[in-house]
Amino acid sequence: MLDVAKQAVEAAKVAGADYADARVASEESEALTVRNQEMEGIDRSSSLGVGIRVLVNGYWGFAATARLEAHEIERTARLAVEIARAASRLPSEPVALSEVEPVTATWSSSMQEDPFNVPLEEKVALLMEATRRMQQVKGLTFAESGLDFYRVKTHFASSEGAAISQTSVHSGGGIEGTAIGEGEIQRRSYPNSFRGHIAAAGWEHIQRLGLLEEAERTASEAVQLLNARECPSEVTTLVVDSGQVELQIHESIGHPVELDRVLGMEEAYAGSSFVRPGDRGKLRYASDLVSIIADATLPGGLGSFGFDDEGVPAQRIPIIVDGIFQNFLSSRETAPVIGEKSSGAMRADGWSNLPLIRMTNISIEPREGSLQDIIGDTKDGIFMATNQSWSIDDHRVNFQFGCEIAWRIKDGKLTEMYRNPNYTGITTEFWGSCDAVGGREDWTLWGTPNCGKGQPGQVARVGHGAAPARFRDVRVGVRG
Amino acid sequence: MPGIIGPDEIRRVSQAALELPGVDGVEVMFMHEWGGLTRFASSAIHQSTWSEDTAISVRVVSGGRIGVASSNDFSPEGARRCAESAKEMTQFIAPDPLYPGLAPKQPVPERDRFDEATAGTTPEQRAGGVAALVAQASDGFVAAGAFETSAAEVAVANSEGQFCWAPSTQASLTAVITGGEGGNGFAEVFGGSVADIDSEAVGRRAAVKASASQDPRPLSPGRYTVILEPSAVSTPLGFLAWMGFGGRALLEGRSCFSGKEGQQVAAKSISIYDDATSPLTLGIAFDFEGVPRERTDLVKDGIFVDAVYDMRSAKQAGKQTTGHALPPPNPEGPLPLNLFLEPGDATLEDMIASTERGLLITRFHYSNIVHPVESTITGMTRDGTFWIENGEVAYPVRNLRFTQSIVEALSHVTMIGRETELASEFFFSASRVPALKIDSFNFSSASDH
Repeated sequence: MLDVAKQAVEAAKVAGADYADARVASEESEALTVRNQEMEGIDRSSSLGVGIRVLVNGYWGFAATARLEAHEIERTARLAVEIARAASRLPSEPVALSEVEPVTATWSSSMQEDPFNVPLEEKVALLMEATRRMQQVKGLTFAESGLDFYRVKTHFASSEGAAISQTSVHSGGGIEGTAIGEGEIQRRSYPNSFRGHIAAAGWEHIQRLGLLEEAERTASEAVQLLNARECPSEVTTLVVDSGQVELQIHESIGHPVELDRVLGMEEAYAGSSFVRPGDRGKLRYASDLVSIIADATLPGGLGSFGFDDEGVPAQRIPIIVDGIFQNFLSSRETAPVIGEKSSGAMRADGWSNLPLIRMTNISIEPREGSLQDIIGDTKDGIFMATNQSWSIDDHRVNFQFGCEIAWRIKDGKLTEMYRNPNYTGITTEFWGSCDAVGGREDWTLWGTPNCGKGQPGQVARVGHGAAPARFRDVRVGVRG
Repeated sequence: MPGIIGPDEIRRVSQAALELPGVDGVEVMFMHEWGGLTRFASSAIHQSTWSEDTAISVRVVSGGRIGVASSNDFSPEGARRCAESAKEMTQFIAPDPLYPGLAPKQPVPERDRFDEATAGTTPEQRAGGVAALVAQASDGFVAAGAFETSAAEVAVANSEGQFCWAPSTQASLTAVITGGEGGNGFAEVFGGSVADIDSEAVGRRAAVKASASQDPRPLSPGRYTVILEPSAVSTPLGFLAWMGFGGRALLEGRSCFSGKEGQQVAAKSISIYDDATSPLTLGIAFDFEGVPRERTDLVKDGIFVDAVYDMRSAKQAGKQTTGHALPPPNPEGPLPLNLFLEPGDATLEDMIASTERGLLITRFHYSNIVHPVESTITGMTRDGTFWIENGEVAYPVRNLRFTQSIVEALSHVTMIGRETELASEFFFSASRVPALKIDSFNFSSASDH
C-alpha cells in the first residue's frame, strides 16, 4: 500500500502540487457489548482509502477517496490541487512548513497477543461472566460489559521523500452497572467510564484489567448510590482519582495548548484558547507541583506512534514545568509562526480526513504518595471518582465536570457516600490550587477514545498518564 | 465529481449478501457520501477538504441471533465478506427474545431531496461564498467558519424483499466573526440546496452581532429571564431528544419522560414533533430498517405524548414502529433526528420589548448532561450574549454557564417566535425551531470573556 501512497503523491505533483503527501490507511475494528448476560451486539467494521494533501502556492488542498484504482487516485489528486487553488481566492500568508528529515521507516505498537486472533468465544465468555457477577448484586438494573479492538495501518509518502509504514493496535474493555430507582439513575464503571480502559496493547491488556474481580464492587456501588445523599453544594477541598485527573488534563490543558486553537484555526467550532503564543515560559498555569509532558514515545499510550501524520518523529515535549507553561502542541504549518519546529502532533482520523493538531499522550508527572496517602492527609473535603460528564467554554476557561461517585473525607478517612457529584472552576485558578499529586504507584496511563475536533468532525484516541490529585477551595455540588 | 451509484447497482451488490445461505434473514444498509467542506479562519481559507466514501453494513439473523459487520468495500465480494463475518458472530450470541423480524416489503414514498447543483458544487463556488461572507466583516474583525456541500444516497435492502433508496443533498454555512474589543458574532444557515445559502446574509448577521458584542460586561450568575435565539434553542431540544424521546430509554426507565405519558411536562404552548417527511427539514423518507418514517407527536400542548420507536422497541412496547431506527448496531435504540418545535406568534422584537430585565442568547457551547432523569444539562453561552433592560438590548455581557433542567425551562416558556430556523447543535443533527422566551433560567457561574 505504500506504493499507492507514492503513486498519489506523484499524481499530485503532476497535477501541479508544490508539496504533496498521501496516506493510505486501513482500519479494522471489533466491538462487543453484553447486557445482563445477553449479547447486545458484536460489530466488526473495516475501511480502506487514501487521503491526498497538497500545497499549491502556499495554500492547502485535501481530497480523499475509497477508490484506489489508478485513474481514481489521479482524479482525487487533481481535485486536491483544484481545492488548493480555490483557497487562494482569499489571499493570506502562504503556508511555510517547518523542516523535517524525510525518512523511510516502519513502526508498530507493541503487543503480546493479537486481540483479533483471540476466539470470539473467549471474549464473549469474559463479558458474560462479568455481567453475571454484577447481576448477583440485588437492586442492579443493568449489568453491561464491553470490549473494543482497533487495528490501524498507515502508509505515508511525501514529495519530500518520506516513506513510512506504521501499525497500531488498541485494545480496551470495561464494565458498567446501572441502578434505576424513583426518579434516579446511578451508574458505576470500572476501570473507567465510557467503555473502560483502552491502551495501545493486545489481549494481555484485557486480561490485566480485572473486570471479573471488580464486577461485584462496581455493581454494589451503583446500587448504594441510589440511596446516597446528593453531593452538597459548598466550597471545599477536592480530591479526585486518576481517572478524573485524566479528564481534567484533557479538557483544561491538552486542548488549550493546541497551537491551531491558539492561532484561531478552530475558532468557529470547538473554539480557541486563553493561552497566547507569548505565554511560553511566563504563564503560571498551575501550582509548582504540576508538570505536564506530551510524550508520543510512551509505550502503551493511545497517542503513541513512530511518526505523526506529517512524517515528523514522535517526541517528548514539556508542556508545563513546575506550574509554568512551556510549549504548545504544534504542526509543520503552525510551529514556524512561533519560530519553532513541529512538536509532531498532527494526526488524522482515518484516510478520509486531513491531519489536525491532536493530543499525543499528555500526562501529569507523578509526585509522591498514593491516593490513600492524599486522602489520609486531608482533614475535610470531598473525594470524587470516575468521570461522568464534562463541559468547558470556548476559551477553555470555565469548566464544570461531573463524576460518578463521591465520598466525604473526614479526618483522613472516607465517610458518607454522595451521588451526582460535580465541581466547577476556572482553569488556571483550579490548577493553581493543586497541593498534592500522587506518586507512581497510583499513576495510570489512561486512554481517551473519543476526542472530537475539526470540521468535518474527527475522532482521535489519545493518552493521558494521570495520578490522583488534591485541589483547594473548589466549588462542588452545582445544581440546576 | 462522482455521481449517484443508483438503485440498480446497489441491488446488485446487496444481492451478494442477501443470498447468504443457512440463515433466517439478511439486511443490508448502504450509504454513499461525497462532498466538500471549505473551512476558513482569520478571514482566509485554511482547511478545505473533499471526500467520497461508501459504507455497507450487513445484519444477519439466525434463530433470533443477530450479527452485524460493515465495510467500505462496495463490491459483491465486500458485501459477501460482511455477511459471512456477521453470520460467524451469530454462533456466539444468544437469541434476542425481542427480535421483531425484518421490515416487511412495503412502499416508501419518494421524496425529492437531491439537488444536482449542490452535489456538484465546486471548490471555487464554495470559496466564492466564503469570500462574500468574509467581506461582511468590518475593519478590525475576522471571520471563521465552514461552508459545506454534500450529497448522499442511502439504501436498505432485506431478505423480505424490502428495498428502499433515497438520494439527498445538504448545504450549510456557519460563521463566527470576532474582533474589535472582544466582539463575537455567530450566524448559520442549513438547507437541502446550495441555493438556500445566502453567504452575504450570514456574514451580515454575524458581523452585526460581533460589532454589538464588544466590551462585554461581567454579570453575576443567577436566575434570569432569557430569550433564546433558534441556534440556542437547538441545544436543549437536541439533548431532550437524547435524554427523553427514545423508545428504548422510555421503556427502560432511563428517559426523563419514563412514566409520564399523558402528563403535563411543558408549558401549554409547547408542541414538539419529529417529521422527516416535512419539506422544512432534511430527513429522508425511511429509517435504517427500511421502514417509512412518519410524523410523530412527542409533546402536544405541553403534554408528553410518546417517544419514537424502531421495530424492536415497538415490539417491546406493544406498539408499531414509528420509523426511527438508527443504523445497526444501535444500542441506544431509536432517536428522533428531525425535530420540530412548533412556532408561536411573537417576533424577536416582541420578546425583547416585553422583557424588563433579562438576557438575549445567541447560542450555547459544549453542553453536556448533568442529571438525565431531571433533564438537567450544563453549557456555556458564546458568540453574542446581551443584557436586556426595559424592553431594549442594553449592552453585551460576558459568557455565562447555565445548569438547568430542560423540562423545567420548557415549563417556563412565555413567548414563542413565529419564524423557525434549521439550527444545529454541537452534537446533534439540525432541528427546526423558533426563538423562545423563558422567564426563569439558571446560570451557575461565569467566564472571563
